Amino acid sequence: MDCYTANWNPLGDSAFYRKYELYSMDWDLKEELRDCLVAAAPYGGPIALLRNPWRKEKAASIRPVLEIYSASGLPLASLLWKSGPVVSLGWSAEEELLCVQEDGVVLVYGLHGDFRRHFSMGNEVLQNRVLDARIFHTEFGSGVAILTGAHRFTLSANVGDLKLRRMPEVPGLQSAPSCWTTLCQDRVAHILLAVGPDLYLLDHAACSAVTPPGLAPGVSSFLQMAVSFTYRHLALFTDTGYIWMGTASLKEKLCEFNCNIRAPPKQMVWCSRPRSKERAVVVAWERRLMVVGDAPESIQFVLDEDSYLVPELDGVRIFSCSTHEFLHEVPVASEEIFKIASMAPGALLLEAQKEYEKESQKADEYLREIQELGHLTQAVQQCIEAAGHEHQPDMQKSLLRAASFGKCFLDRFPPDSFVRMCQDLRVLNAIRDYHIGIPLTYSQYKQLTIQVLLDRLVLRRLYPLAIQICEYLRLPEVQGVSRILAHWACYKVQQKDVSDEDVARAINQKLGDTPGVSYSDIAARAYGCGRTELAIKLLEYEPRSGEQVPLLLKMKRSKLALSKAIESGDTDLVFTVLLHLKNELNRGDFFMTLRNQPMALSLYRQFCKHQELETLKDLYNQDDNHQELGSFHIRASYAAEERIEGRVAALQMAADAFYKAKNEFAAKATEDQMRLLRLQRRLEDELGGHFVDLSLHDTVTTLVLGGHSKRAEQLARDFRIPDKRLWWLKLTALADLEDWEELEKFSKSKKSPIGYLVVPALRLRRSQLLYVCQGGGGARLCTLKGI
Amino acid sequence: MAAHLSYGRVNLNVLREAVRRELREFLDKCAGSKEHEVEKMFTLKGSRLPAADVKNIIFFVRPRLELMDIIAENVLSEDRRGPARDFHILFVPRRSLLCEQRLKDLGVLGSFIHREEYSLDLIPFDGDLLSMESEGAFKECYLESDQTSLYHAAKGLMTLQALYGTIPQIFGKGECARYLPCLMGLPFPPFQERHNAKTVGEIKQFVSQLPHMQAARGSLANHTSIAELIKDVTTSEDFFDKLTVEQEFMSGIDTDKVNSYIEDCIAQKHPLIKVLRLVCLQSVCNSGLKQKVLDYYKREILQTYGYEHILTLYNLEKAGLLKPQMGGRNNYPTIRKTLRLWMDDVNEQNPTDISYVYSGYAPLSVRLAQLLSRPGWRSIEEVLRILPGPHFEERQPLPTGLQKKRQPGENRVTLIFFLGGVTFAEIAALRFLSQLEDGGTEYVIATTKLMNGASWIESLMEKPF
Repeated sequence: MDCYTANWNPLGDSAFYRKYELYSMDWDLKEELRDCLVAAAPYGGPIALLRNPWRKEKAASIRPVLEIYSASGLPLASLLWKSGPVVSLGWSAEEELLCVQEDGVVLVYGLHGDFRRHFSMGNEVLQNRVLDARIFHTEFGSGVAILTGAHRFTLSANVGDLKLRRMPEVPGLQSAPSCWTTLCQDRVAHILLAVGPDLYLLDHAACSAVTPPGLAPGVSSFLQMAVSFTYRHLALFTDTGYIWMGTASLKEKLCEFNCNIRAPPKQMVWCSRPRSKERAVVVAWERRLMVVGDAPESIQFVLDEDSYLVPELDGVRIFSCSTHEFLHEVPVASEEIFKIASMAPGALLLEAQKEYEKESQKADEYLREIQELGHLTQAVQQCIEAAGHEHQPDMQKSLLRAASFGKCFLDRFPPDSFVRMCQDLRVLNAIRDYHIGIPLTYSQYKQLTIQVLLDRLVLRRLYPLAIQICEYLRLPEVQGVSRILAHWACYKVQQKDVSDEDVARAINQKLGDTPGVSYSDIAARAYGCGRTELAIKLLEYEPRSGEQVPLLLKMKRSKLALSKAIESGDTDLVFTVLLHLKNELNRGDFFMTLRNQPMALSLYRQFCKHQELETLKDLYNQDDNHQELGSFHIRASYAAEERIEGRVAALQMAADAFYKAKNEFAAKATEDQMRLLRLQRRLEDELGGHFVDLSLHDTVTTLVLGGHSKRAEQLARDFRIPDKRLWWLKLTALADLEDWEELEKFSKSKKSPIGYLVVPALRLRRSQLLYVCQGGGGARLCTLKGI
Repeated sequence: MAAHLSYGRVNLNVLREAVRRELREFLDKCAGSKEHEVEKMFTLKGSRLPAADVKNIIFFVRPRLELMDIIAENVLSEDRRGPARDFHILFVPRRSLLCEQRLKDLGVLGSFIHREEYSLDLIPFDGDLLSMESEGAFKECYLESDQTSLYHAAKGLMTLQALYGTIPQIFGKGECARYLPCLMGLPFPPFQERHNAKTVGEIKQFVSQLPHMQAARGSLANHTSIAELIKDVTTSEDFFDKLTVEQEFMSGIDTDKVNSYIEDCIAQKHPLIKVLRLVCLQSVCNSGLKQKVLDYYKREILQTYGYEHILTLYNLEKAGLLKPQMGGRNNYPTIRKTLRLWMDDVNEQNPTDISYVYSGYAPLSVRLAQLLSRPGWRSIEEVLRILPGPHFEERQPLPTGLQKKRQPGENRVTLIFFLGGVTFAEIAALRFLSQLEDGGTEYVIATTKLMNGASWIESLMEKPF
């Protein structure tokens, strides 16, 4: 324990900073870092180096070379730079490398050196060239800020959704600012720049001069500025060797420090921990590293070699040709436990557990001491927390052992925090491994989330490890294993040297029918790589036929798409394909295709019924479906035509179609209808009133009611209305007319076909209940009143 | 929680909650807040929307083209009116490309901020009753060969499986039914939820029923009034005459000639639906009508009610409800006898058989369900073959861990899905079977539409003007 705090350096009275090695780098660099453009992604991300970026010669041997390494120095990619001169490199939040060229074109590469896309920062940038550029991160994504040769700034806050913004001019600016940075306030990106003794803040509308409160006098120039990881704090390094630290809003000074070094530092970055009150910046010169904060003394380190600083959420990574280190403020839990002579509960518990292992009775003493103070729960929590902040597995283990030991003496200590920490550390140790090379701290890991970490493993094509982690953490398949397998498959289809059959088989063997895997997505990727045949093979494995359709359509396999859509039973999908086919094929071919697919045909008919009546007719004609054609004309006779002659013509067509359909009944009925229609027209002309579209029965009734008995009789005869119905008709009509005399006469006139019965007649008026009683001696009418 | 949905063996509140959640998510998305202050609700109507001081207007619609025209009219008149509102459209139960195309053609597609679907396939009506409320399902399937509603039915079943577990055995009868398992041949969601209420669960459920029982007392008055209204109808002479004829047909009396009651109904111009029902019933009970009889009825109907009904008559023929006798023998008596569809001695007070629901006629569908549970369809193979459409059995393998042995005395739960619709009498018959002490099966009923004989025939009618 004595030497454990050896690398702890106090800064003031309240904080310690420690620096420990993450990896020894054997990346075998051919150049000094200072001769390269360097970009390292936060969250233990990859490192990109561009060698010889400033050489203009065309000779291949000294052309710029872009190299990408893992944080542990394993080479991931190396490619000759054949595009224009690069001014700046940076990593996006998705771990894509953005290379900003002098002409304002930004080339985007993947982790493995695969070219993704490019975009331009606009004409103004192209004309004035790029002087300097920064890649920065906001909650919306990753942005690019450009300083042009005309000393103007252009920025885009999100390269995923490129919107260029030209910042306002700085009045009277004649030369490049001595230093500048992007700030992010109220969700808007700003630029802070220093010109001589003046500072200017550029937002999208205006340029305003700003003054840091409490800035020491005598400053004639700012040499460096640094914004903290969370954009909350700002540090300024002046030509007097003075460092101002305050809020990024420039409203408050936190502290200041005079380092008495006037040489411009190579880098200056913030080193703070979330939720800590301590503020410190790390300043690097050629051979010197200094941690300064709210303390009269600074911590100083000697740099043996050319080094590069990477700000992180909770510290700073420092890498050089041979090592990769992490510098951070010692977390509270660790400090409590390991501080020399600490009597904190966690410290005692760790001691107790050690004594217990030595089988010493001191274990009991220590334990009692904690218990008497009632601090055991706190002690266990401290040990668990401190374990999370340890880099060495041995130390993690002894802290967890202590926690586990302490837990035994507690009745109700919820086990989840312990279990979760064990799981998290297992994951962290696995990814920190040299071969993986993602040196995340516990805080970074929690901030990043497991989902993003899995994405990053997938980006590095570390599929087996990602799957192991999913299985170990028992993540739901859909979010976990399935997703990773799907990514693997998407990578697999890009391997052009493997035959379609082999790729398809390999994918199916590995994926089987894992839930949540979409074969159609993988097939879409294969198609994207120009492998249509492979895509079709992969689609065969897709169990949901509906999912196959959109891609098949895209690949112009419309007929296959149609059968798959039909198979799925999803009628809307069938329509999608049909409308596609309709545009793609000529009418004849389209109809032929429909003919072979009865389900599609009937759906299309439905569509036509609403949208294209003429096409519907053509379809019936094509199929010689005369019955439907007949019905079609019947409908048409009501829908389109107002004039009687037009309607009769439509009915004639219907009757003809019915004859062709050998439906004699319908044909005759339609002819009767034509006859009736003409007659009704005539009746309207002669008698006035409304007849058209009344039923035959109602027409006769209307005639009777109008006193045209003769005509009624004639009509009934013409259309052969059965006596029985006619009798009822008249009876009802006369009752309606309340023509009792006529009714009586009528009922006596001849033998009723209704036979002997007592019928309550219809349509009673004025609450009169009318009975027609018909016996041998003729009908008798009685009303309720009468009875 | 809706107490009336949780008294059955399958707690349909689980389904209700699942679909409610989906709706809430959509409302969140539209309103952009956690509060769903629904200011007003309107029935979809043409021209302008009624005035309301709201920011968001959400259209809940079935994906039908004619409704799109109304929506477009609403939106366009609203646009002219003034302050911009946010429109959203929620298709129930499925989005439709055709409808969106129509909205596009009408120039309003861009007016909708959110266009989504609300997969409310099966609506819980009661603790044992689910319906898609899709009026057109029967017509679409049988007249238009449009299987959209079958697809939705399959989706609804998939949702049920996701919530309540895989259905291990599926039996079916009929063309459309045969098609359903094919549509369900999708990979099932992997998780299972079993509601074998025992001990605590049972008590909880019982407790949750208490408010329901109180509510039941409250609704007693309603039921009494309803019963009185029904009684007015059932005691009327007309109802009695009609029932007599129906029962004659169903017991096979004089089904082969023109029926004078039907003739009189036509002559007196009784409602057309009533006439059509009777004619169809006669046709079905006679395995089709003699051509002369059929033509006579048709001619009488056309002359009395209008020639336009030739379309309706054709629809009925296409659906097989009305048809000429095609040689062959009349199969109905065999079916009636084998399946005991007609029972002479019905005890309506203390029923012993499902036939009480029609005072003599045992609904065929329910009889088939009853025979399936005991002794099984193998005993009626021959008659099944006479009935239209194929019959089938499908099994869905369950992982061994999930195969649950029924406890002694525990009833089997059978979900019966009536494609095309279920009548209220059929529901009553199935509930009677569920309640039989030695029945051994409890039924959950699902359907495309709750209906009765009249609404069914009405759905097949076509009015060209």
